[in-house]
Amino acid sequence: MKVIKSICMALSLGLAMNLPAAETLTPIDNKMQAPDFALQDTAGKLHRLSDYRGKPVIINFWTTWCPPCREELPSMNRAWHQLEQEGIAMLAINMGEDEDTIFIFSADYPTDFPILMDQAGEVIEQWPVKGLPTTYVIAPDGTIAYRAIGSREWDDEGLLDKVRALK
Amino acid sequence: MLKIWKIVVTSGLLMSGFAITWLVQAEVQRSSNEENGLEKWHFIEGDIEIELVQRLPDQTRAMLMKHEFSSEVVEFMATSCMFQTIIRNNGKSGSGESVSVDLTLWRMQHAGRQSGILLKEPLIESWSDQQASQKARLVVRWGMFPTQQEYLPGDYNWGLTAYGIPPAAQFDLEVNWNEGGKQYTGTIHDIICAPDVDSLK
Repeated sequence: MKVIKSICMALSLGLAMNLPAAETLTPIDNKMQAPDFALQDTAGKLHRLSDYRGKPVIINFWTTWCPPCREELPSMNRAWHQLEQEGIAMLAINMGEDEDTIFIFSADYPTDFPILMDQAGEVIEQWPVKGLPTTYVIAPDGTIAYRAIGSREWDDEGLLDKVRALK
Repeated sequence: MLKIWKIVVTSGLLMSGFAITWLVQAEVQRSSNEENGLEKWHFIEGDIEIELVQRLPDQTRAMLMKHEFSSEVVEFMATSCMFQTIIRNNGKSGSGESVSVDLTLWRMQHAGRQSGILLKEPLIESWSDQQASQKARLVVRWGMFPTQQEYLPGDYNWGLTAYGIPPAAQFDLEVNWNEGGKQYTGTIHDIICAPDVDSLK
């Protein structure tokens, strides 16, 4: 009986392996202030997080060699096209790679939102990031409102509504 | 396409001093990718899922040689039995509990000996600047699995775990996690490290 149950569970879980990641955002209850940074994007423009005060900001930490980071970039780009007009910012912080590497990568994974470069990995160390990708949603007052570890389908309406609700 | 051919079931309770560890009934699916031949072990118990996918030594060589590592470090890492690893809190129980994983508690059995797995912190600290530049260390710092991490429902992480035994070696892995304040352990039996190029000829 136990074996039959195990086989059934294995088959059902085998199907579950192909399910998309849950589109969840984890609320951060302790109202931690997001660490400020000043980083250049791939076009040479300097971005300070504090300059975005007053609007929600989605901050994604990633690298080109991280498969789930690559997986979520297209949906982030689709989300950006919705959010851009709504006064919500999106910044992707690449960890440890140079402009050339990102430029070559962007031929396969085009993005329209700013890609910031943390080449020395100094900014990521200031944040409570354990692995890549990790994404934070910053509230207009500069506190961290939500966190997502692992990739998400960022153009999921339920997920985006949580971000919009911060405005 | 995945081919599944093995299921392992265990259950019980371990007590050591005042600490209680629940030895769980766990499903482990072993499968192989028919395109590249790499094998995968998928451990599923309640809200936690752990996937280990073989990583060929040449994959690691290719990744590290692009960065400023000495050939000695590249070869050591490539032949340290690395697995692409995914840990996920699938939240299927609906409990909303977080799952915490501490790799320092994981144990492996190989050739009659029990040991911990390789952790990134001591590895990185052991390298001189000549063996790995500061920039190169970032690749290992962020490429290898976090030693401690908490996963809320829907969270998952991806990274490399390393076991410090030769290519094609076989071992058992005792995985360990905390959910809702309870410590759990389960074993994945007969994991096989990916073979090196020599054995593929």
